[in-house]
Amino acid sequence: MVRKVVVGRFVENLELYGRLSEADRAAAAALPMAVRRFEPGDDIAVEGDAPSQCRLLITGLAFRHKTLRDGRRQIMSFHVPGDICDIEGLLLSMDHSVSALTRAEVGFVAHTAMEALLDSHPAISRALWRTELVEAAVAREWMVGMGRRTAYARIAHLFCEMYARLGAIGMVQGNRCRFPITQTHLSDSLGLSVVHTNRVLQELRKDGLLSFRGGELIVHDWPGLQAAGEFEPGYLHLRAKSA
Amino acid sequence: MNLILQPVMVDTGEEGEGCLVFAEGWLVAVLVRLSETHEDAAGFWFLEKGFGRLDRPDPPIFSDLPQAEQWIKEHLEIRRPPRWPGDRGEV
Repeated sequence: MVRKVVVGRFVENLELYGRLSEADRAAAAALPMAVRRFEPGDDIAVEGDAPSQCRLLITGLAFRHKTLRDGRRQIMSFHVPGDICDIEGLLLSMDHSVSALTRAEVGFVAHTAMEALLDSHPAISRALWRTELVEAAVAREWMVGMGRRTAYARIAHLFCEMYARLGAIGMVQGNRCRFPITQTHLSDSLGLSVVHTNRVLQELRKDGLLSFRGGELIVHDWPGLQAAGEFEPGYLHLRAKSA
Repeated sequence: MNLILQPVMVDTGEEGEGCLVFAEGWLVAVLVRLSETHEDAAGFWFLEKGFGRLDRPDPPIFSDLPQAEQWIKEHLEIRRPPRWPGDRGEV
């Protein structure tokens, strides 16, 4: 049951960026994997690791981060089900860590099995390459935000991005999605103090754009939130045509 | 080092109570008292803006003004490493 969900999500995410054949899907479905559970805050991959397995996020959310010696942390990205959250480990050692944001189930796939899949199915290889290019596009967008956007726009933009990404994989119901982020996570993601983050959240609520309840993000005014975040979803390349 | 605190209203979208902090005549920091919207940190003092050596990416909060003054003094008194004599300050 879990296995079907796992591979389903992985393939669905790859297909956000390009079509796969039945043979590609069947080969991905046959990937051997062991599933492990993580609690919020647990490390899924640690900086310095040279992993021999890929970690495929099945359920829950995760984030990449780097921590300075005195404990100051920068979060670089968030991951949704179906993402391989340490794909660089396939070719490099980990230069940052990945932690669970929520309780998460992670499928461990041996690099040898992943390499065999990629070698024999070039469409999967290209789709995975595209997902990595999109990750780089997201990182560029975050850089623009941190360098040039106001705190208000930065926070609105992050919520737009997560709402769009979760929507693309069917994890938005009505106008709400599960995104149990704390003010500390937000400030660590966007280079803001917790005080500034809290002020902006109050402002976004007061402006009627969004609210939170029980770990859910509720978007009350999607066009308004996009305008506040100067959000142009093109960089996510959702529904891009297969090359 | 003596600090002089001058009450001031600061437009942060909150209640506004704040103070300018001067060290030997120089404006070195702006502190703001956090409102009820900050829940557990309500009533604490936040380093809204630090200048020079107090300009930081992770501005701290303090439970009261004496604690803030203590921190400011400590950070102003940290000596900068001496410049190597051959360094003209240009790259």
